Amino acid sequence: MTQVFLIVVRVLVLCLLAYWVFRLWGGTRSWTSRATSALCIAVLAWQVVAGRF
Amino acid sequence: MKGFATLLWLEYRRSRVWAAALLGSLAFWAWGLEQVTYAMPEEQLGIRAGFLCAAAITGLVALAFMIGRFRSETRQGQYQILLLTPPSGYFHILARFTFALTIGLAYAVAIAGLLWWATGRAGLHLTSLDTAQLLLVCPLYGVGIVMAPLLAWTLLLMVLSSAYRISGTAWIPGTVMVAATPFVLRFLGERLGDVLYRLPGWRLFTGLDAALARIGIERSSEATHAGIVLPQEPLWGMLALATVMLVLAGRIWQEVEA
Repeated sequence: MTQVFLIVVRVLVLCLLAYWVFRLWGGTRSWTSRATSALCIAVLAWQVVAGRF
Repeated sequence: MKGFATLLWLEYRRSRVWAAALLGSLAFWAWGLEQVTYAMPEEQLGIRAGFLCAAAITGLVALAFMIGRFRSETRQGQYQILLLTPPSGYFHILARFTFALTIGLAYAVAIAGLLWWATGRAGLHLTSLDTAQLLLVCPLYGVGIVMAPLLAWTLLLMVLSSAYRISGTAWIPGTVMVAATPFVLRFLGERLGDVLYRLPGWRLFTGLDAALARIGIERSSEATHAGIVLPQEPLWGMLALATVMLVLAGRIWQEVEA
């Protein structure tokens, strides 16, 4: 049960991160800002999928 | 270079109240150290060292706030004017960073001076070389591994958020950057830990053992070297990280300007 709950939470967080990628990509015309934001989101996504908390 | 000097002067005009308040707060900390009179000299040294740690943390937070005041600048229209000025974004970022780092370095040297005073009050009299290392090498090392990356991180955070201000999504890059930072720091810490002491360390305070022995404190038998050996790798690693963050912040400034 706990495992299922954690998987659901992770999927929801990944959905939120994907939505943020979409917002951040269109929110500026600066490519460095996009790349920096994408890097931060990639770190968070990596932690959600395979990280050690 | 003339543009850079002008930006430094502008930064001084913008932040001189913060800088004066920060450096003036050292008088409060010195007064606080003077009030510690109710314990044994060794305990007094411990309490005073704790006071100075609090002073260092307070100074770091104050400097981070000082360098990251982009929001109030945007509201007052100064940020938009700065974006249109001739010097490149790299110079803008470098001027802010240089001014804050200089104030931070002065603050760190003053705290080291207070620590030297506290050790003297505890009867721990350092040699001239050890005193010079305490007053110059330790502040520079601390500024290099903590203050420089923190200030560069704050600048990058604020410039990155400002790049999204028009679209109204400035809070998202701020949130993801703050949330991702601990994981990046842990990763960097592990990598730096793997290469620690591969380069020769810097030996400091070689006369500390003798000074401690004079006040009846023996160093642990596990200590195989005289003094303290500082590793080089964290300093170079954190300075490289600070440089990368400054370059990114400058690049973002350029692109937003364009």
